[in-house]
Amino acid sequence: MELFANLAHGFVVAFSPINLLMCLIGALVGTLVGVLPGIGTIATVAMLLPITFGLPPVGALIMLAGIYYGAQYGGSTTSILVNIPGEATSVVTAIDGHQMAKQGRAGPALAIAAIGSFFAGCVATVLIAVLGAPLTKLALAFGPAEYFSLMVLGLIFAVVLAKGSVLKAIAMIVFGLLLSMVGSDIETGASRMAFNIPELADGLGFATVAMGVFGFAEIIRNLDAGAEMNRDLVQQKITGLMPTRKDLVDSTPPILRGTVLGSILGILPGGGAVIASFAAYTLEKKLAKNPSRFGRGAIEGVAAPESANNAAAQTSFIPLLTLGIPPNAVMALMVGAMTIHGIVPGPQVMQKQPDLVWGMIASMWIGNLMLIIINLPLVGIWVRLLRVPYRLMFPSIVIFCAIGIYSVNNAPVDVILAGVFGLVGYWLIKHDFEPAPLLLGMVLGPLMEENLRRALLISRGDWSVFLTRPLSAVLLAIAAGLLVLTVLPVLRAKRDEVFTESEN
Amino acid sequence: MADTMGHSATATRNTSVALGFCLLAIAPQIFEFIWSIGTIFGWGVGRGPATVVISHATALLVGAPGALFGALGGDTKKASSDVMLALIYSYPLFAVAIVTVFMTIRSAQDYVGGVILMALALFALWASSDLQGMRGFSFGAGTAPRMFGGLLVALSAGIALTGLLAEGAALAHYSWRGPMFVMASILFFALAIRPLGLVVSAFVSFLIAALGSHETRWLEAAIVGACLTLGCALLFPYVLGLPMPMFPRFLIQ
Amino acid sequence: MKMPAAWPAFLFVSQGIEMTSIRALAGACVAAFASLCAFVAPSAAQTYPTRSITMIVPFAAGGPTDVVARIVTAHMAQTLGQSIIIENVVGAGGTTATTRAARAANDGYTLITGHMGTHAASVPLYPKLAYHPEKDFEPIALLAGTPILILARKDFPPKDLKEFVAYVKANAEKVNAAHAGVGSVSHVSCELLHSILDIKPVGVPFNGTGPAMNALVAGQVDYMCDQIVNAVPQINAGTIKAYAIATPERNPSLPNVPTTAEAGLPAFQAQAWNAMFAPKGTSPAIVASLNAAAVKALDDEKVRKRLLELGSVIPTAAERMPEALAALVKSEIAKWSPVLKPAT
Repeated sequence: MELFANLAHGFVVAFSPINLLMCLIGALVGTLVGVLPGIGTIATVAMLLPITFGLPPVGALIMLAGIYYGAQYGGSTTSILVNIPGEATSVVTAIDGHQMAKQGRAGPALAIAAIGSFFAGCVATVLIAVLGAPLTKLALAFGPAEYFSLMVLGLIFAVVLAKGSVLKAIAMIVFGLLLSMVGSDIETGASRMAFNIPELADGLGFATVAMGVFGFAEIIRNLDAGAEMNRDLVQQKITGLMPTRKDLVDSTPPILRGTVLGSILGILPGGGAVIASFAAYTLEKKLAKNPSRFGRGAIEGVAAPESANNAAAQTSFIPLLTLGIPPNAVMALMVGAMTIHGIVPGPQVMQKQPDLVWGMIASMWIGNLMLIIINLPLVGIWVRLLRVPYRLMFPSIVIFCAIGIYSVNNAPVDVILAGVFGLVGYWLIKHDFEPAPLLLGMVLGPLMEENLRRALLISRGDWSVFLTRPLSAVLLAIAAGLLVLTVLPVLRAKRDEVFTESEN
Repeated sequence: MADTMGHSATATRNTSVALGFCLLAIAPQIFEFIWSIGTIFGWGVGRGPATVVISHATALLVGAPGALFGALGGDTKKASSDVMLALIYSYPLFAVAIVTVFMTIRSAQDYVGGVILMALALFALWASSDLQGMRGFSFGAGTAPRMFGGLLVALSAGIALTGLLAEGAALAHYSWRGPMFVMASILFFALAIRPLGLVVSAFVSFLIAALGSHETRWLEAAIVGACLTLGCALLFPYVLGLPMPMFPRFLIQ
Repeated sequence: MKMPAAWPAFLFVSQGIEMTSIRALAGACVAAFASLCAFVAPSAAQTYPTRSITMIVPFAAGGPTDVVARIVTAHMAQTLGQSIIIENVVGAGGTTATTRAARAANDGYTLITGHMGTHAASVPLYPKLAYHPEKDFEPIALLAGTPILILARKDFPPKDLKEFVAYVKANAEKVNAAHAGVGSVSHVSCELLHSILDIKPVGVPFNGTGPAMNALVAGQVDYMCDQIVNAVPQINAGTIKAYAIATPERNPSLPNVPTTAEAGLPAFQAQAWNAMFAPKGTSPAIVASLNAAAVKALDDEKVRKRLLELGSVIPTAAERMPEALAALVKSEIAKWSPVLKPAT
């Protein structure tokens, strides 16, 4: 019953007017940051750190946390409306979400994303409060070998989610892996494929490549002669704003499954949230009676990853709150914010700073409530945005993307690189290559390589560690099984194709 | 037999594709040459145009064959970067270009896509060729890039092969107007944001991008562009607190 | 005329946020006003500083260097009567930002808070470094030192530093040392330790201090050297153990951890120091006024308290002088050069 006393204490802290205000501001800024293409959470939290200087520490952290999970809500908006994922976690949402928008169903897609996020956020918050401490063990059980196997599994997810040729999807993943290797080598510090360009020394940014292959490429494609007709069609087609009864029924199981997957994977430091969204999508595609709907506007393809990424965003606080170790760059900034306030988080932060920890947990629930109240009415406004003539919309998107990318590192070279990746993306579209596996390869590549090398360093070059460590072996087995399940039907289809070829 | 069937019908087409691949095979060299022209005017750093032309020409015509035969003869002398580029990148693509002439392309979309992807992979192989390989049991900096570069060469060869074996889509049409003006707009923004500030660069970039569509109406675009610029000028520096130059530098100082 | 329907949404969202940014807004207004003044009356008598100063921090916001820079510059801004805007420029172990600072105008309006990595260890690590810490910078003041600890997983067999040295030497083939990436403080300082012990154990790189600490707490690696800030709470909670602190004196935040001299390894002395620099050629008068402001900040009770809370060591009056900092940079480059081999 200590839990209830703690939670009650947390709500008392979180309901103080100043903390409520901070929570609201965090939720609003987070939504805004998520919606603006290019502006990442890390950049914003970094920029807002100095402002938190003058605030009480609990309020400051409630606000920063709000920005973090608020951005997960907002991140889906641009994915759905203009096919630009603002965060790595909303890449998958773009696949079916944007298709729904093209069919005039942007409203239901946005609404279901918000509802799924809300549900997942609430469940995950309870999970942090109840199981935070025991779940910490999971984060510690994951060594380099386990991470490598998890990354392999993540890349297999990317193959599964491709709609077209499996060969092309694998090629795109490997291309993404190659792109991720640009920059300094983590072990030796050697500069790899950077051609002495200082801005490449730390590799290609996710925002740069994502804005390019999704954002700019989509714009260039839409400017192609003959594309106007489709666009006008979209503008006339817009139907209801809210999901229908059938949409809700269809989305309920994916939201539940996404929440569970996201909550578990979110605890793992590093790529947890990204893998969670991909895993949730893959799971839905595999469970669906008719997988061919995926990639063509299936509402499950929006509901599941959006629930998963928001659940993961919440549970990723667990290592921070129980161990005092930041699991990702945004959390590292939050540790910085605590340090500036003279609180150095550690394993005892729960006992020493009950106000902070329980206040933050309680505020997450309040923040999620605020976010759904903010986001549902916004759906109408976002959908109206689609009615803006494309001749005015596309230059605006170009400018927003350019400013967003520039603001990440204050580097003009990044903007040029995004433009180059726009052309690459245009080329990908013309040759029927899918950009989503490329981005996943790019996000997971460094984690995979680092952990592979780390595992081999620790095992002194013995590759069998990946099979002798039980957790790692299980993950690899799932990956192998999934690959077989994906490739088999393709091979069978190829055989059928050979027989039916004469009909074409 | 399939190779020769229908050869005459696709001959012109194949030749132009093969010529395209030849151009692709020396694209990095051409890029360095264009880049090097800038050094005459003191922009950027690098070798002068004359040096670039001479060293690449010798590498392509003399150095690479020499290194190739040297390697066959067991000579392991380290080749220069230009020679490596010719060996790893240009020669395989020339080979592909020659093969292309004699092939029936069933799906140009897959075949050309696969070959261009292969070019990217070969380029990555060259770019990582000077990095350290395995050091005992631990990976060197170059191990993973070369591993995945090699894998991508194999995969893209597979895609190109499907383009030869299975019927599929033809080459899609590329338009030039959209890509050109959108790229110009992005480039202008990147070059202007530091010296000219957000207000000027955002507004001008908006108008350049608007050139990319023939539907653009100028008065409307200018008004929306101005409003957008104003919005950005308030949103980014003030609301989000991102430090960004606002006005041209010469006006401030 | 069709206006984009985006505007109402945009205004709606922005209204709520402006409140948080009042400080930023105020700062920006001050900056804008100052720059306007400078534009209107360029001939007016100029007493430095007449507009806001940009302080480049070569690491992410919230990191140890950033925190030190923010605490000190906040006080300096009051003394100088102008705001100091911190710009975090990350990349390549801080050398990207340092290169930019070296090339900035030497008018005193662009400064950098560098550290042991950017202004000493980078010289041997990066042979193609685009700047030289001694030739391209005017030292202003040493701000703070952060002691370095030798840490190990909690069930690592050795009980004290003497046993640790014997164990690591005997098992140099088996032990794993974690570090936070090439050029990081933890990497550089452990290289020093290894060169003193004359061993070459396997170094397992992590992407930052957080993941490295996670691996140490989880027992996946054996030991690492790290700055005191990150380690104190873990040591107090017993999730890791500390063998020694590499400073001449014990630290008040860890009174039970012996110094390396006490524990029998006096040769291992390392501190991650943070210091303020201006581009070469900045006028001596400007350097003097910045130094005076920094010295005043380091004498302030509140500033001292916050720095001490971080486990930092505040430099003595003599150490804060530009000449002392120049000497420190020189001696540090000499110290690290033989220890670190270049990253190819």
